[in-house]
Amino acid sequence: MKKTFALLLMCMLILSACGANGGNKNTADTGNAGGNTEAAKEITIWAWDPAFNIAALEVAKAQYTAANPDVKINIVEYAQNDIIQKLNTGLNSGTTKGLPNIVLIEDYRSQGFLQSYKDSFYDLSNSIKGADFADYKSGPTSLDGKQYGIPFDSGVTGLYVRTDYLEQAGYKLSDLQDITWNDYIEIGKKVKDKTGKALITLDPNDLGLIRMMIQSAGSWYLTEDGKTPNIADNAALKEAFEVYKNLTDSNVANVHADWSQFVAALNNGDVASVPTGNWITPSITAAADQSGKWAVAPLPKLAGNDKSVHASNLGGSSWYVMNVDGKETAADFMAKTFGADTEMYQKLLTDIGVIGTFKAAASGEAYGQANEFFGGQKVVSDFAAWTEQIPSVNYGVHTYAIEDILIVEMQNYLNGKAIDKVLSDAQAQAESQIK
Amino acid sequence: MKAFWERFKFHSLFIKIFIVMVISIIAVALSASWTTVRMSERLFMGTFSITNSKVISQIKANFESFHYSIVTATNNTQLSGTIKSFLSEKDSTSQAMLRTYYNMTTQMKRIQSNVDRYEVGIKIMGENGRSYATNTNNLLLTDSELNKQKLTQSTLAEPKRLMYHFYQENNQPTSQESVIVASKALMERTTGDIYGSLYITIQEGDFKSFYESFVSTGNDVAILNKEGQIVSSNRNELLGQQATDLLGYARKIEQEGLDYVNVDFRGKDLIVLADVLPSYDFYIVNLIDKQTALGQMVDTKMVALFCSAIVLVALIVVFLISRRLTKSLTLLSRQMSKITERNFHNYITVTGSFEFQELGHAYNYMLDELNDYVDKLVLTQKEQRNAELAALQHQINPHFLYNTLASVNFLVQQGSKDKAVQTIHALISMLQHALSNVSETISMAEELENLKSYVFINHVRYGERIRVNFFVSPDCTEARVPKLIIQPFIENAFFHAFNRKNEGYIHVLASQDAGMLILEVVDNGDGMENMSPERSLFGPESKRQLFNGIGIKNVHDRIILLYGKEYGITITSNINEGTAIKIRLPLITTQN
Repeated sequence: MKKTFALLLMCMLILSACGANGGNKNTADTGNAGGNTEAAKEITIWAWDPAFNIAALEVAKAQYTAANPDVKINIVEYAQNDIIQKLNTGLNSGTTKGLPNIVLIEDYRSQGFLQSYKDSFYDLSNSIKGADFADYKSGPTSLDGKQYGIPFDSGVTGLYVRTDYLEQAGYKLSDLQDITWNDYIEIGKKVKDKTGKALITLDPNDLGLIRMMIQSAGSWYLTEDGKTPNIADNAALKEAFEVYKNLTDSNVANVHADWSQFVAALNNGDVASVPTGNWITPSITAAADQSGKWAVAPLPKLAGNDKSVHASNLGGSSWYVMNVDGKETAADFMAKTFGADTEMYQKLLTDIGVIGTFKAAASGEAYGQANEFFGGQKVVSDFAAWTEQIPSVNYGVHTYAIEDILIVEMQNYLNGKAIDKVLSDAQAQAESQIK
Repeated sequence: MKAFWERFKFHSLFIKIFIVMVISIIAVALSASWTTVRMSERLFMGTFSITNSKVISQIKANFESFHYSIVTATNNTQLSGTIKSFLSEKDSTSQAMLRTYYNMTTQMKRIQSNVDRYEVGIKIMGENGRSYATNTNNLLLTDSELNKQKLTQSTLAEPKRLMYHFYQENNQPTSQESVIVASKALMERTTGDIYGSLYITIQEGDFKSFYESFVSTGNDVAILNKEGQIVSSNRNELLGQQATDLLGYARKIEQEGLDYVNVDFRGKDLIVLADVLPSYDFYIVNLIDKQTALGQMVDTKMVALFCSAIVLVALIVVFLISRRLTKSLTLLSRQMSKITERNFHNYITVTGSFEFQELGHAYNYMLDELNDYVDKLVLTQKEQRNAELAALQHQINPHFLYNTLASVNFLVQQGSKDKAVQTIHALISMLQHALSNVSETISMAEELENLKSYVFINHVRYGERIRVNFFVSPDCTEARVPKLIIQPFIENAFFHAFNRKNEGYIHVLASQDAGMLILEVVDNGDGMENMSPERSLFGPESKRQLFNGIGIKNVHDRIILLYGKEYGITITSNINEGTAIKIRLPLITTQN
């Protein structure tokens, strides 16, 4: 009996052991992908324009990592639209995954992001002082008294001109110091006659020219409250539209569809002038063979608007720290470079051509220097002078929403629709969309 | 050494059984685990190849839907008159251009929405030098550079085909990204004029997402173009490499319709599954590292460990059980081997399992029976002997009777009436002794009476020249002796010891010594030459007895039969000095 039991026991043992062989080891290795515990020392920055913003970042990175070798800074270049899209996607989904630590946002758009996703941005009030930067930057970069953005470049505009083309048409730089947009078109016609070159290049999908014109007259797509569309009864806007149509009707405009074509048009000498923000300087100076052929004139003003001045703003952007892991490192990076380092601003200006908005840097030597590329013109001090004249406007949060409407309406206008109808239609659309 | 060998001999069964068991257990364990591992491997291969073929078809479906989007985008681009005019018309007035550009961008946005699901960039480039890209990050080339690229050349060479290319942007240090480019020449259908080309680009990282969720460690996917270049893989180090060997495997699988092939790829044992992506002209290759994949599935070390543990336990159990089983057998055989000792009285101890107990019982029973039979046999033989003796005893020699009666007759005629009566009495007494039960013992006194009667009769017949004296120790008169034990020796002395001498004597002595009854018959007759009792007394020439059938030889046999070998007769004899016969018997005084 005992033996039978022992035998049974043995059989059971062997069977169970055999069974145990079959189904073990099925625990899959769900790896720890994406677990970024070291993220605190590694930050990612998104920006556009390698000749300008990215180049400035590289300088700042070099400065910062020299003092903090343990911090790894990844600079990622995307087109501005991609950044906007990715930011929107990330912020909408509510996850911080895939978002950078620092992002560059254009001033026109910043309030839109700040007001919608306040919690996703890191309050920098403790790191920097808004008062250290140009006053007009505080509107876009702060919200409810808290400083969210580190103001970066100035968007002060000027009229970049090819002096060689002008001379062929019989003009000098001094002839452009106080002109209206209508005068500008007349000059363009002559230049076209003499040189065959277009006066300006336009992107049908970008009404930056319109924005410059209306801001020079202290007007904007929206009223002072930043919310109500101001289109139908906007005299400045009406005149700007008329100038735009005049440009095309006069056949002095070239056309481009994207940034690279825009820069190519400048560098290839296809156009005689370009009214735009000072941030285009590096792109222009990139064509070293054109040194001495360029100059910067004040922006033309609107003839029919007595408020209009020879100064305006286009673009300009600021850095924002996202409220994700590594924000302290990111804020420290920003505060110690763009928020404090005047030496660095000198370097940015001389090496890249960045005109910052950091007040303390404006007194630096580089700001007063003559620029050989622009024929010895003291470009920076000129821009500084114009900066003071820029009429302040409230960009609000809907600048690009309205611009999208205006782009379509502009085409209608160019195709012969009456201007009043164009603007009132746009007003109606804007009112219905913005609500 | 010999003792050890002896020990070993008795354990040989155990050792044999144990060795057989050890060998078979190990063989079974080895073959079972080998078979299990093999089977699970094969099963694993089977299921793995099935699931991975499904995975591949899933990946393929992903690629196909991407391809479908691209085809849609391509078709829309081709059908768009706006784009055609943008790419083919010459520069005209600003207004017209502005309109063309605007319409084109609007159209491109619409086309882009076809592929919005994917992170792709669309670029168009016209023969008039105009171009447009929706995503400036892919294809970081100037238009003129792009025109010189092989991908543009081959696209324009086959304008009707949508082609996929692999392109590494190595000229930009900041973005060494690889891109997959789908390209198509834009052709006027009716005339066949090519007016531009279309590039749809997707970063390799995004291209990867079509299959990335299906890969794991040891389970890699690579996409090959028809030149064998790896255009996409979850293993970044393979990217852009030329893998003609993989292409060969993929072709083989495709052409021979295999499920998978086992190959040795860069020092690793791999299972390769492959399928063709016809719309891309790419091969999708699934590389499964056998070692990693099987290592997750079958832990050979564990199996071996388990097996050894089981074998060990089984061996211990087998050792104990077979030891227990054979122990009784060993004991049994040891005990049985001593059967010849102690006259079959080595009974064995009954232990062990039921079978051995039965065996032991049977063996003991057999011994019982054997002893029983032996006893019976001995008894029968004794009885036979007694019967023989009785028969001999009863054979009263007729000559003796005749001589005795003739002597009596003579005495009566002589007138010595008293002597005649005495003789008749002696004869009667003798006959009475001889004819009664031979097996009975009688007292020494009775035997003495009997001997005296015999001697008296002999004196009557042959005269009194041989005198007979009896010396019986008084403590021996009651000792029991077998009947007629001394008579044959006296007879022998009477008739054979005095052939040359005319007179002499015969002494009969009875005494006891060390618990033994010693009877002696001593004469001073002729004596015997070369005395040896066997020859003289028990030899075949033993003469016919004069009184009855019991001879000297019989007496000796009888004593040994009755009392054992330590008793019996010894004879000493010298020529002319006489013969002495010594009979030793146990001293028995009671009737039994």
